Order: sequence, then structure tokens, then C-alpha cells
Amino acid sequence: MKTSYKNIYMLALSILTISCSEDFTDLAPTSQRNVENFYKTATDMEVAVNGIYNALQLDGTYNQSYWIMHEMRSDNTDQGPGSTGLARERAIIEDFGEISTSDIIEAAWTDSYSGIARANVVLNRINSVEMDQGLKDRLTGEALFLRSLFYYHMAISFGNIPLVVTETQSVNEGQDHVQVSADVIYGQLVTDLTEAENLLNLPIETMGNNLGRATKGAAAILLAKVHLLLNEKAAAATVLRRIMSDYGYSLVPDYNDLWGENNEHNAESIFEVEFQGGGFGGGNSFTNDFSPLPTLPTSVGAYRNRPTREMMNTYETGDSRFFASMDTSFVDNEGMLQTNTNNDIRFIVKYGIDNPLGAEGEGDAPNNFVVFRYADVLLMLAEAIGESPEAYDLINEVRDRADLGIIDAATPGTFEEKLLHERRVELAFENHRWADLLRFGAAESTLVAIGKSPRLLFLIPQKELDLNKNFKQN
Amino acid sequence: MKKLVLIWGLFLLSYTPNNAQLLVSLREPLPDVGHNQRAPIYLRDILSSMEKEFNVSILYNSDLIENVEVSVTPELKNSSVEEELLYYLQPIGLKSKKLEERFYVIQKEVDKQEKIIRNAKARFNKASQSEEPFLVNSVPKNIDFSSLNKPSSLATLTGQVTDESGAVLPGVSIIIKGTTTGTITDIEGYYSLEVNPSDVLIFSFIGYSNQEIIVGTQSVVNVRLEADITTLGEIVVTGYGTQQRRDITGAVASISFEEIQNMPVASFENAIQGQLAGVQVSETSGEPGAGPTIRVRGLGSISAGNEPLFVIDGFPVSKNVAIGVQGDVSRRRAAFRPPPSNPLATLNPNDIQSIEVLKDASAAAIYGSRGSNGVVLITTKRGKREGKPQISFDSFTGVQSVANKIDLMNAAELTDYVIDTRNNAYLQDIAGASINDSNAERDAKAIADGKAPSGNYRIADDFINPSGTDTDWQDEVFNQATIQSHNVSVSGGTEDIGYYVAGGYYDQDGIIDGSGFKRYSFRVNLEAEIMPKLNIGVNLNPSFTVFDRLPAGSPYFARPPGIVYSALVQSPTVSPYNADGSINQTDNQSYLFTETGAGAGMTTASNPLAIIAAIDDKLKQNRTFGNFWGEYEILEGLKFKSFLGIDINNYNRTFFRANSLLYRNAPTGEPYAQSSASQSVSWVSEQTFSYEKTFADQHNLSAVAGFAAQKETIETSEVLAINFFDDQVPTINGGQVTAGTANQEEWSLASFLARGNYSYKDKYLLTATIRTDKSSRFGKENRTGVFPSVSAGWRLSEESFMANLSSLSDLKVRASWGQTGNFLIPNFASIGLISPTNYVFGENGGSQTNGVTQTTISNPALSWEKTSQIDIGLEFGLFDDRIFTSLDWYQTTTSDLLLAVQIPSALGFTTSLQNIGEVQNKGLEISLSTRNLAGELKWDTDFNFSTINNKVTKLGPSGDPILSSGGAGNRHITRIGDPIGSYYGYVVDGIYQSQAEIDNAPIDTQAPAARPGDLRFKDIDNDGDIDPDDRTVIGNYLPDYTWGITNTFTFKGVDLRILIQGVQGAEVLNLTRRHLGNGEGNFNSYAEWNNRWRSPSEPGNGEIPRADRLTGLHGNNNRPSSFQVEDASYIRLRTITLGYNFPNKVLGDVIQSLRIYMSGTNLLTITDYLGFNPEVNNQSAASPNVQGEDYGAYPLNKSYTFGINVTF
Repeated sequence: MKTSYKNIYMLALSILTISCSEDFTDLAPTSQRNVENFYKTATDMEVAVNGIYNALQLDGTYNQSYWIMHEMRSDNTDQGPGSTGLARERAIIEDFGEISTSDIIEAAWTDSYSGIARANVVLNRINSVEMDQGLKDRLTGEALFLRSLFYYHMAISFGNIPLVVTETQSVNEGQDHVQVSADVIYGQLVTDLTEAENLLNLPIETMGNNLGRATKGAAAILLAKVHLLLNEKAAAATVLRRIMSDYGYSLVPDYNDLWGENNEHNAESIFEVEFQGGGFGGGNSFTNDFSPLPTLPTSVGAYRNRPTREMMNTYETGDSRFFASMDTSFVDNEGMLQTNTNNDIRFIVKYGIDNPLGAEGEGDAPNNFVVFRYADVLLMLAEAIGESPEAYDLINEVRDRADLGIIDAATPGTFEEKLLHERRVELAFENHRWADLLRFGAAESTLVAIGKSPRLLFLIPQKELDLNKNFKQN
Repeated sequence: MKKLVLIWGLFLLSYTPNNAQLLVSLREPLPDVGHNQRAPIYLRDILSSMEKEFNVSILYNSDLIENVEVSVTPELKNSSVEEELLYYLQPIGLKSKKLEERFYVIQKEVDKQEKIIRNAKARFNKASQSEEPFLVNSVPKNIDFSSLNKPSSLATLTGQVTDESGAVLPGVSIIIKGTTTGTITDIEGYYSLEVNPSDVLIFSFIGYSNQEIIVGTQSVVNVRLEADITTLGEIVVTGYGTQQRRDITGAVASISFEEIQNMPVASFENAIQGQLAGVQVSETSGEPGAGPTIRVRGLGSISAGNEPLFVIDGFPVSKNVAIGVQGDVSRRRAAFRPPPSNPLATLNPNDIQSIEVLKDASAAAIYGSRGSNGVVLITTKRGKREGKPQISFDSFTGVQSVANKIDLMNAAELTDYVIDTRNNAYLQDIAGASINDSNAERDAKAIADGKAPSGNYRIADDFINPSGTDTDWQDEVFNQATIQSHNVSVSGGTEDIGYYVAGGYYDQDGIIDGSGFKRYSFRVNLEAEIMPKLNIGVNLNPSFTVFDRLPAGSPYFARPPGIVYSALVQSPTVSPYNADGSINQTDNQSYLFTETGAGAGMTTASNPLAIIAAIDDKLKQNRTFGNFWGEYEILEGLKFKSFLGIDINNYNRTFFRANSLLYRNAPTGEPYAQSSASQSVSWVSEQTFSYEKTFADQHNLSAVAGFAAQKETIETSEVLAINFFDDQVPTINGGQVTAGTANQEEWSLASFLARGNYSYKDKYLLTATIRTDKSSRFGKENRTGVFPSVSAGWRLSEESFMANLSSLSDLKVRASWGQTGNFLIPNFASIGLISPTNYVFGENGGSQTNGVTQTTISNPALSWEKTSQIDIGLEFGLFDDRIFTSLDWYQTTTSDLLLAVQIPSALGFTTSLQNIGEVQNKGLEISLSTRNLAGELKWDTDFNFSTINNKVTKLGPSGDPILSSGGAGNRHITRIGDPIGSYYGYVVDGIYQSQAEIDNAPIDTQAPAARPGDLRFKDIDNDGDIDPDDRTVIGNYLPDYTWGITNTFTFKGVDLRILIQGVQGAEVLNLTRRHLGNGEGNFNSYAEWNNRWRSPSEPGNGEIPRADRLTGLHGNNNRPSSFQVEDASYIRLRTITLGYNFPNKVLGDVIQSLRIYMSGTNLLTITDYLGFNPEVNNQSAASPNVQGEDYGAYPLNKSYTFGINVTF
């Protein structure tokens, strides 16, 4: 019958319609780049490095966890009143009462390792990409520095952490991770930061569109800190002197001029976490977090990271750094001055913004977070060389700017006490205090003195312990 | 007139399965007139034998074939019914016409001219007998012909038979009760019969309920037959084909348009609620146009979609709206999104002919990797060929109001409560405190005690000296709203063409001003036989909807704030308007200051009226479905069908938040606008062969096989503008555009499918299905899936040993097994994706510089979720199917669940999408239809009942539970042995009545300073303290069982339909208790807190703890606990409809039928649930792990409507 030919014809037709099905079902994302076609060119590597910087803005790093774990955990700040429920979690961490499932602690682990992994991808792949050697050096240096910065925070916070310096190829690798001591991490950082300092550009060369990138100075100051942690004071001093002599930093004459959107990248600034408002997702929430109660002018203040009364009192009379760092009164939204009659209004102003009422005041503020600045170099050098006239000179250089008189060996207290005090007020609320207390061996005594039962290492997130049965809790 | 003689009644009964035995017994004695006999061959005998051989019915007027001999030699072999009929009939000037599947009627060849005249005559003279009443089946020997010779008291009765919509029904059998005399209606639905006044006529037709009429003195009786959904001859759409209900071996639920029409709902899903066993429809939000959720047989997936596949006239559509095609308010947290707009609300329920739900794997396997959540097949109306054009007008209009209000405190009660909370906190915390202290003394004593003075101890002026304001904020927000729907359709056709053309308008205002839903829909369904054996068809359905959205259903602190929740938490002591009539936004509870100027410890919410006024959010949808198909019969029984379809779906959303709205206590506005658009284009191509054949009179075989390909491309874009300095221009150009994004995604699916049905003697039924799907969504190593199924049925009632059980009219057992998949996984989940992670570099504040990060890790083995299901079913009819019951038991195991498995963070990723874990669903479904009364007063009952038992059986490599965060932190757990997304928290174990009781209880580490009146929590792990390890499963959203019952009464022209449905054993995680029931008195509160614990002598109702402004620092009563989980069982009077059909005699010639009705929806809900709606689910669009939260949803409305159905 004729129909059978038709039959065959139609069958053929229908097969034809999906004969290209191999391609038909082989679709790749059009709106998103994917691993199969990326990391091939110099531009790819450049944006991949920019992506590592992005990890500095995360909640688990500078936007939140780091100030909770390195500032609130110390004797500098606490959680203001009126917090209940989830908001109390910060107060619990401040009080050393957190459990291993704390979201904030877990975020620090997750987001820091995210930054580390981003750097590992770049470091693993960059050598096989053809590009200008100068650019390759700079990108490699940036990746090394950023990875070190995350590891520094992780080692300070948790101590025993896995050291991962290779790109993840398969999820099964997670079972191979082993915990190493902080000193092993610091050893790796010395190597990496030494190389980074070599590869990176000078601060003076990092201007224009590159402003905000890591420089030799940034790698060097972190290297010096790591040397101090390893008690390699001479090595630290060498690095610090190199920063002083070669990299062109100086103290800004007025401490007030260090802060705010308009004073970013000043002569003293060594490395900052860059933020930008405007709805791009690049803003910070310091204003919301640090402002006083919700009923007050920003309308969204959570009163976190509040300077303790003891912190407020630790400033010497006449210290011009006090009001640049914190405040004790504000004008509310009805124009009324709310004053500190009971010493219960205290809040950080270093990260204040001009207009806290708009969108910028709602988690989208533009001001940078200063990670390292030159005053720290001076004080670390004093620490590295130990009690000596030169050391007092370095400290007094910092004190002089604060309109305070000189101190010397005759000033009451030990050298370490005086230095630690100076570091506390000079670098107040810049996430240095917890590391300083640990480095100076003063964490235990200081916190016990204010009635706390300190724990020097944070608990390793329960999730990580659950996923890798070899991990041990701190 | 011609006398019509038939065994028609018996014949017909033989084709209604309840009398299947009769069929057999009738056929046995038929003369075995084979083709090879040499003796004179009568056409009647030929037809009779054909009926047997092909299992068809052939209807004819006995006059036409009386004594007609067949002149040709019967030599045909392996030919079709049509071919044989043609062969025999053509030479003698007759022809055959196929009326329905398996129904043929023999007519004289009538030329066109003759036909037109005849039709015209019929129209002009309805009451007259029609020219050519065809009729009469072959007459078996044992029929009594005495009725033919009745005395001349016989009168001629005529009339027309129509269906409920007024469409004429040809081929309806009319038989005089107790006799074999009768006739059938002609193609215009007319009949004529000689009757005695004492006769009772039985009208019957396949797919419709029998109707009995007492003749009396009437000479014209027009009859309207009602569709009978349990009749087993009903044709059921099964996907790539149809089957008779009695032949089905899988679990298929179906519902026809009668059960869903004229309901005041935007979409068909709302209409089927409570009417199908195993299909749970939840109206999670009352916002007009919001999508309800449909769950077929529980929840099978933890993180892929749980919505069934929808197949509209053969076009598969997923209801997955996850990737932002509807646009979103970018500043709103994902957890606070309102339910998505229903993407299928463009489909006008009035155009739907029937809905079938393929529930078990054997039925759904033909949809392979998309079948595991069930498949909903929607068939739209067709024109009846050879019917005269029928114009229908359906219209209703009504009013809606909020279904119920929440019982909250009034101003006096709240005042008492607030004072109580402050006093209790003050007394507990401050040394030397007395409740008689003034605010100044409270401040002073706090300082003296080393504490900070605070609004938590002070009592605000408003509560010391109440102004008398007592605002009912619910009354402020909820109003009466109108609803209307108007539909016009024209359907009809000629012998070769059938058409259905319709237009509809639906307009529902929301009970909150500014919300509403409008639909303009059009439909053209055409079918034509353009050449012999070649049929083509077109369905075209363009529609346009406008959805006025409001941020109604989110918490008061969401951005933008939720209207409903802002109204609930707002203090009744606050006035909604200022003295000048403007909306009060600043004199509210956050601005309550004590005389010292300090705060009052109240939390503020925005004025809901200001939110309504300031937010303009419109979502417009423009969707066009178009199908084109052609079907050619290649050989007898073998057909080839080519089907091409396209679905173009556009969304356009504009959002504007005006300056005028102050967010809570913000002093200035926060204006911004968004514009988003999306387009998705999906096409499908299906080439299928189907084959149907009966062998040796006993073996029925049908099969379908073919190829299908489908591809969808989705593009979205979104732009955000801020800094609007005024409210003049609400579009993005009125401000400064600061952000934008666009996305493109696509997926494709290439499939092979095949299904075979075999039955032996109508007794033993077997169906086997296979489909292979190759999808772009699956990983490279796992791209093709194979989905087989097999099912079998045994109609015991066909067996001779059952023949004696006369009350049992039908009995079938069936069993099925099958595998299906769930391919609702993200489009590119198997490929490691790189996403923008920008950073800021450069001088002067810097600028955004491109950065990227790999955000997901590749998984080339990623695959669909696999579901295996066993279903065992039993169907039986009693007393001629007056009682018909269908029972199903099923067990479903879904494995390879798609799960974002946690991985060590040091890998750089926190989760990896993997196929892991297993979920089991088990359940029992009962459908029961009874015809309780069948006389003049008819009473029918349809009842359905289903149980759900959902349990996670495997999870992740370590089996660790998954904690999930919905609207308020981790409050859900998915763990082995419990249902997906169970609520997780502490268990309340009463209230501490004394300090001694606290001292003797396990130490509550979460309650720093519990006091009598605080909640007592349970030490679940019995380790002597109450700590986070004592959290456990405290309920879940899935019901234990659901049921629905519809009672329909008809008496003369009046019909009454009542649908009651219920859900038992479900719980809601009532997050509004965090604020409305927190004991802190910082908001308005549930009135039940008037029964709170006040002292050991006034312990209240034993469930509500004490008032304490600082419970977080004391008893911590507000922690996630069973106190916030509520029983959400309910019984709802879903609809009640009272209608009246005007009798034909008052309608005249032009109007065929006229019905008016009144209907009420959601008039009564019986529940213990405190909130608006026990079906609430703020997370309906979110992960299956976090379902069941109430965080301030748009309440349901109740409505009263008045409607009219007219056909011309």
C-alpha cells in the first residue's frame, strides 16, 4: 500500500526533528560565565583577583564577624542594651558564651575560606595563562597577600585550622584536610608574604584606578605582624624599618582626618577594605550596626560593638582621639540633644557617615574600613625592639598627634602595659585589640579583671567538625 | 409517524458497564452470522456481527434496514468498522456516521440541500417530530414485540434533549420503562415517541446520568441530562491519548467543568480545592491572583519543585516561577516575598472542559522526568460537530469581605497588658522597685541599682492617661470589594468542522484597597476533517492579566513593610489619621514618650494605610498558548499525529515606593522604583503514532509511541532607580537609575515515549509505559533517564462467578508500579558557575570594578530525582452504580533527592548540589459517589478522603538533619524519620506556678531568670538541663488527612450544591506569635493574652504565660517552641450555590436555557487556628524545607455572588 511509504516518510521526519538532540540538550549558561570557559586570559585572571578582594566585604569577614570576634570579644566593646533573640547572639559571643553552631562564627570560617579558595584558584591557574609579566607578578602578589590576610584572622581566631593552598578539584578533597597549629599557618604566611612583598607594587605606583589594591606596604605590615606572632622580633623590626624608609608613609597630622569617606587613602593608610554605597551591593552596614538604639536618629541602629564604659574611661584626659573614635551624645530625630547623663550612651563614630538617614544608613554605607595604617607600624616597631628610648620615641610620635604628653621609662607601668594601652586607644575599634591581647599574653588577665571567663580560641564551627570526623574541637 | 422499535434499552444498558453481565448474556444467543455464510444475508445480521466483532454500537432506524439484504459478498478481512460499513452501506444508499468512540449511526445519504431544509424545519418547529429519527439496533430474538401493538390511546410525545450547558445531545436513548420500546434522539437532539400517559420514560446516554420522566399529559418534554462523572464509559484524558474510565489501570482523578464553573475564583486550581482525593490545593494567600499550591500525594522533594506538571491541551507547562520571571522587589528579603502570581491564572476556568490528575507513577510515567509530582491534564472545550451554533453567556458579580478577623486586644486591654509587662520587668530587675513608682522614680531606682533606666521599666503616657482612642486596625485595612466575571462563547460546527470561540473578562478587587486581579482572555479551538482520514486542529489562547500587588503579606519590618502585619501589631491607642485628615505616620507607638522624653519600649510599625497609599506594584502578564496538530489515519487503526505548540509568556512589572511612606519610625521616605520584564518562549514538537485494534472479538490492543522535543528560553531584566525627590513620576526615569541586571536561561528536553494498553474480554487489563528523557538540566554523565511503568487491572464483575451478586454492578482491582522523575532542578546546576563579585577600586571613593568568583562547584553526575510508586486500587459500584467507590493505596519512594549537601567550607564552597537522600509518601485515598435520591428530588453526594504520610528515610552522606531558615531563623528541620521541613524548637510543658517548681526543675540554660508564670520547657534528652539539644520536632505542615464532600440537590428547576472541605492534623508555625504573643507588650497582642498568668491565684487559662517586657532576659518565653505552633485543622464551607433553571416553556424559541444562581464562598471556617487562614503559608514559593509559616499573610475573603448562565 502507498500509505506505508508515507508511514516511513513520516517516521523519518519525526526522527529528523530530534536527530540533533546531542546538541539540542547540550546547553551552556548564557548569562553566567562558567568554569569550563573561564580563567583563560589575562582579563579573566584580573577579574578573578578582583573577586578575591570582594571576599573582604562579606558578613563573615570585615562587614561583621571580624569586628565581633576581634573587637567585641575583647574588653573594648560590648552589645548595647535592648537586644533580644537573634541580636543577643553577639552579646553571647562577647560574653564567651557562644556554642559551636553560632552563625557568626560559622560565617567567619566560611567566608574567610571562600576568600582563601578564590586566591587558590588564581594561584593555581595564573602560571599557565599568557600575560604581561608585570601584571602576572602583581596579580600573584595580590592573591598571596589576600590569602594571608584571611589566614591571619583564621589563625588568630581558631588556632587549629586546615591549611589549604591548592585549588579544589573535587568535593571529596574535604576529607583530606587536616588541622595544623597556628604556627604552621604563620610559617606559610611568612613565605607567602615575603614573596608578595617582592611581587607587589610600591604604594606610590598603586594610584588612579588601582587605588585600593594591595601594595608592598600591605604585604610588609602583615609580614611584620606575623613575625611578631612567631616572636621573631628582629625579623619584624627589619620589615618595619623597610616600610618606614622605603614605602613613603607618614602620620596624618590630625587624628580626626583619618576617618570618614573624604579621608580615605590618606598618607597613613596602608590597606583598606573598600566599600561603596549606591545600591551596588558594595556598601557596609557599620552605621546601622554601631549606632545607638533603634528609636534614635538612624532609625536602624542596633547598638552593637558599643565601647564599654571601661573603654570610655581608658582615654587620658585631653586625648583628641576620643571624639574621633566614639561619642556619648547625639541629636535625635526631633532635634533634641540626647546626652550622656548616665554614661549609657556610647557608640563608635570612626565609621560614621554624613547622612545616616538615607539608603546609605541601611546597610549600604560607602566608608572604607582601615585594615592597616602607619601608626601601627610605629607601635609595632616599638614592640619589636622592646623597651628603649627609640621605642618610647615611636610611641610618643603617636601620642604627640593625640595632643598628649610624652611617656618614658619613668611613667608608671611596664613597657608592655604602656604600649598595649597606647595601641588600644590609637587603634581603637580597628579590629586589632583581640590579636594584641593574645600577642601580648594579656588576654586572660585583662578579661578576668573585667569579670569574664575568657576562652582564647573560638570554637570550631560544629558543621566543620561534623563534616570531617578527623577535626578536633578547640 | 414511523414506529421505532428497538431493543434499545437493553442495548444501551449493555454499554453501561454496570450491566456488563447483561451484555454478555444478551450477546450469547445472537445468531452467529459469519461473513462466509452463503444463505441470504441481511444487513441487520451483518451489523449485529460487526457490533460484536469490533465491540461497537451501531444505531439505526429499523425501517431503513428492515429486510434489506446485502448484495455483496462479505470478503473483507482485517478492515476497520468504517471500511466495512462503507462497503456494505454504500451500494444501498446508506452511510454511517461516527457519533462517539465506538458509536455509529446509520443514515440515509442526504444531500446538502435536503439537510439544510431539514435543519430549518427542525428549528422552526421544535415540537414536531423530526424528519428522520434514526434508530433501532438489531433485534435479538428474545425481545417482546408486543409493545408495538399498543392500543390507540397512544399519544405522540416529542422534545429535545440537551446537556447541562444546553448543547444538544444526539443519540440519547429514550425507552419506556419496563418495556423495550423506545427511540433515540436525532442529530439535533430531537425525539418523538408514542406513549401512554402512564408511561415513565428513561433517558440515558453514555457519560450522563439516567433521567426518568413521567409522561402524564405532556406532549412536549425537553430533557436536560447531567454529566455523570463516575460513569465508567466516561472518556478520560490520559496524556497522549484517551481511555474509557473502566479500562484505566492507574490512579487518575478527574473533574469536569460542571464542578468548577461559576466559582468566584481567579484560577481553576482554586476551584478544584477539596474535590479530588489525593490532590491538596492550598489557598495560602487571599490576594486575588496569587498562586495556590497544589500537591499531589504529598511532598516528594526537599529542594526541587513540588508543583505538578500541567499539560494544557497537550502542551506541558511547568509552574516553576523560581528564577525571577515575575520580577521582585530587590530590597525585600527572599523570605518575605509574597506568594508568586499564579502563572496559570491566564487560563479562564470557563473554557475548561475537564481536568485529569495523573496521580500514580503508572499514569504519570508517560511524562517521564516531569511526572513525579503528578500531572494535571487540562482539556478545554470543543465545539460539537453538527450541532447548531450555541451561544452561551455566563456572568456573575458579587461582593467580598474578609473571611474572618483576628481577635486582638482593644485599647483598654492593651493598656492593662502593657502596664503589666513593664511592672513585671521592673519588679524583677530593680532592687526596691514598686509598681506605684512614677517613671522618674523608676529611672532613679534603676540607676541606683547600677542598671540603665529604660522604656522597658517606664510606662508611656498613653497608657497612664489613655486618650480614649480605640482603633480597630483590621477594620481600617479590610474593605468590601467587588468581583465580576463575564464570558461569552460560541460553539458548534458542521459535519467536518467543530469550533469553540470564547472571550472572557474577570475582575476581582482585593479586600485591601489597591489590590486586585483582572483577566482578559480569548480562545479559539478549531477541529476540522479537511480530507478523509486527515484531521487538523488549532487551539489559540491569548490572554492578558493585570495583577495589582501590594506588600500585604510580609512582616511589619520587611521592606517594604507588610500591610496586614503592620495593622495587626499597631496599637489600638494610635489613631489612623491626623486631625487634618492626613494619614498619621508620626504620632504612633514608636513616638510614645514618657514625660522624661525617653522611649517607651514599644516597637513601631508603619501605618498600614500609608503603605497602601505609597506602594504601586503592578504585574502584567501576557500569555499566548498556541497548538497546531494534524492527525492522519495511515492504515485502519494506525494514526500518525504531529503536534506543535508554543507558549509565549511575558511579564512586565512596575514598582514604585513613594516618598510619602515612612518606614516604621524613619523620619524621611525611602522612594525607589523598579521596572522588570521577562519573556519566556517554550515550544514543543511531538510526533506520535497510535494504533488501536480488536482481535478475535476479545483482544483489545491500543498503543501510542513517538518522539517529543521541548525547549524553553527565559529572559529577564530588572532596573532599579532611587533618589526620587518627589512623587510626581512613579517610573524609573523619575529618579536615578543605579542598578540593573539581566538574565537568560534555557532548557531543553528530547524524549521518546511509548504506551501499550491491552485488554482481554474487558476483564483483564494491562498497560505498560516507557519514556526516555534527555535534558540539558542533567549533568553530562547522566543526561538520559528512562522511566518505565506497568499496571494491570481485573474487572471481577465481568467474571461469571460474580454474576449472581446482583447488587454489585462493578468491581475492579488494579495495581501499578512505575518510575518517574522530577526535573525541576536549576537550569545550569551541573556546571560550575562564575558569578560577579565586584569590588571597589580607584580614587574619589572608587568605582565598581568587575570581579568574579566561582560560586558553585561542578557536578557532572547531577541527575533528576527518581520516584518509584506502587499503587493498588479497588473500584466498585453497587446498585447500578448508585454507589460508586474508588479506593487507592499508594507508596512512593523518591530517591536521589536533589540536595545542597553541606561540604567542608575550606573547599571554598559551603554546599554542593548532589543527588542524595530519600523520602517516602504513603497514603490512602477514597472517592465515594452516591446517588441518594433519584426521583423528582435528586440528591447526589461526592465524597473524597485522602491521608498523607510523609517521611524522610535517608539524607546526605552522614544522615545529618538539615536545619532550614524561613522567615525567622532556623525553625525547620528535615531529618530522617520525620516529614520534610518539620518545625523545630523547644517543647512547652506547662507554666511554672511557683519558685519552688522552678528550683526543682531542670536548669533552663536559655532562661536566665525564670519566674513563676514563665513557660516551663521540656528536657527532651533528659540530661538534667534545658539547652539547644532539647529542641525537637514540634509539628509539620502536612495534614494527616484531607477530605471534601459535595452534596447536590435538584428539585424541578432548582439546584443546590454545597461543598464542604477539611484538613485534619496539619500545623502552622505561627510566627506572628513572636510579636502578637510574645508577652512583652511592645505591640498589640492576641486577645487570648487577656487570659494570661497573673499570679498563682490567677493562673489564667493555663496556656498563656505571664506578661514580661524583658522575657528574653528572664524566662525567654518567646524562643522557638511549641507555643508558636498551632493546630491548623479546619472544616470549611467552601461553596454553597443555589440555582434555578427556568423551564423551557417560559423561555421561548430564542433562549435555549436560562439559569440564575446565588453562591457563597468561604462563608464559614471552623478551626482552632488563631490567625486568618489555617492554610496560610508565607513560604509557599520557597524551599519545601520551610513551608507552613504564618508571618502576616493576606487573609482569605468570603464572597457572595449572583450569576446567570444563558444559552441561545
